[in-house]
Amino acid sequence: MKRKLLLSLAALVVVAGAAALGVVGWMALQPGPYAFAGGSTVPLTAYQGPSPTGAPAEFAGVDAAKGAAYITAMADCQACHTAPGGKPFAGGRAFVLPFGTIYTPNLTADPETGIGNWTDAQFLDAVHRGIAPDGSHYYPAFPYPSYTMLSDEDVLAIKAHLFSLPPVKQANKPNTFGFPYNQRWLMAIWSALFNPNERFRPAPEKSPEWNRGAYLVEAAGHCGECHTPRNLMQALDQRRKFGGATGEGWNAYNISTDKVSGVGDWRPDELAAYLSTGHARGRGVASGPMGEAVELSLSQLTGADIGAIVTYLRSVPPVKGDLPAPAGPAPATPQIAAIDNPVGKRIVEGNCASCHAWTGAGAAREEAQLTGVRAVNDPSGANVALMILHGSGAATARRPYMPGFGKVYSNDEIAAVTNYVTARFGAQPSRLMAADIARLRDAN
Amino acid sequence: MGTISVNGETYEVVAASDTPLLWVLRDELGLTGTKFGCGIAQCGVCTVHVDGVAVRSCQMLVGMVGQRAITTIEGVGDTPVGARVQKAWLDLEVVQCGYCQPGQIMAATALLAANPDPDDGAIDAAMAGNLCRCGTYVRIREGIKHAARP
Repeated sequence: MKRKLLLSLAALVVVAGAAALGVVGWMALQPGPYAFAGGSTVPLTAYQGPSPTGAPAEFAGVDAAKGAAYITAMADCQACHTAPGGKPFAGGRAFVLPFGTIYTPNLTADPETGIGNWTDAQFLDAVHRGIAPDGSHYYPAFPYPSYTMLSDEDVLAIKAHLFSLPPVKQANKPNTFGFPYNQRWLMAIWSALFNPNERFRPAPEKSPEWNRGAYLVEAAGHCGECHTPRNLMQALDQRRKFGGATGEGWNAYNISTDKVSGVGDWRPDELAAYLSTGHARGRGVASGPMGEAVELSLSQLTGADIGAIVTYLRSVPPVKGDLPAPAGPAPATPQIAAIDNPVGKRIVEGNCASCHAWTGAGAAREEAQLTGVRAVNDPSGANVALMILHGSGAATARRPYMPGFGKVYSNDEIAAVTNYVTARFGAQPSRLMAADIARLRDAN
Repeated sequence: MGTISVNGETYEVVAASDTPLLWVLRDELGLTGTKFGCGIAQCGVCTVHVDGVAVRSCQMLVGMVGQRAITTIEGVGDTPVGARVQKAWLDLEVVQCGYCQPGQIMAATALLAANPDPDDGAIDAAMAGNLCRCGTYVRIREGIKHAARP
């Protein structure tokens, strides 16, 4: 009897172990980021076409420093490695994660607090393998599973650019992870499973433009780090590539070619305008983290490189999502009584309508159009609420100013405005409460 | 910068394309009927029409207008709806101090052009972004109804 019990217990352990292995294996043995294209790939050195790596001739050809600055912008290191209002690349920006808060380190050439003493080999190990000079492992908040695809030359060009900037003395802040997430050695196992540590492999059957786009999107731009959902092990789930995810409270929307939830119905010129200027007419304005990506990285790229990114994005297979198709124009004389939200209506009339127009079509500027915009047609309301809370940030040459209202309105009022805007101008109303707004305030 | 069309006339503009339309209208073209209020599209006093739609000229950059037709308070009386609104304003003596009234008339005219017979809800919604420190809101609403059904 006892023996039978032991045997069945052992069997249970074996089955559970096999199941766990199967789950982890299913997550680890997933397709590569651009395996969807099919066909063969070759090492960079064996590729016959024009090089998909490096800076374009109009930069690299001028001088090495210009090329290195371009490559650094391609990889958008600055957005994460700069604290709000801080010195560029000096680190200190906080990322609030479910496991604790992590602060980005100082990337300037200061020998004490930055990377001034790092050798080329150490820098390559950090960017390609996620391993620090002392042998410890970085958390994948640092997107080395994407950067691992960067060529050695490009990684060292980034180092050269960082070393050409004035060093900033600014000590790194420790993260606040609790057990077991503070066990950095666990990241060695994670890396072994999820970081292939392999450089970009061009696909000879695809066009040179597509290969350049793949390199810009997957290796340098690391778009999937925000736009691809993560699995239980926090690795990108390439089976739902570009299906949409969240970061810092913002929804990073589905950018697959799905025509309803994704960008499958965007024209190439709309994609190009959105990426290079942060705005495409009737599609909305890049805000939050995407606004930073446009400002610091995408707007710096050449027209040919933006074209390559668009070519590549349009080849990514559709991933169905649960976002509704955007509603059309809002009527000029709406059934106002049908939306029972007097607080939202009062605030929208008084504060929003003068720029966004009572029809949501935008008054004064194209950027102010609300109808047709994904964020407004997202029943979670998260991005609308964050925009109302924080505004657009300072105006730039490419982006008009929208004031933030987080300091003048309560959480109840911000929730009411968000729910009114999504109901009046979008496909499905959001149903946010004050507690949701409080959470969004904390996430940023 | 190029040319813009205001009240049916074409004007050569010297200012840079990122200059607010309001500044060009007032300082360069001398059309000072349109007023400056808050400068951040929150008060409505700078309202003009671009292709018949009410916009805040303090936030619209002159370079964004293109060849679309701009109508200001100086020209709105030449349109049938604008003339009716101005007459209603005089008949009911809507104005008190008057500073906000160019914007109120432009907003009211755009509303009536799009919706010839608005109810109170539609009037309140369309006019909500136009502030009046004298508090003539009740007379403004009556003026719009009077202009709709003269």
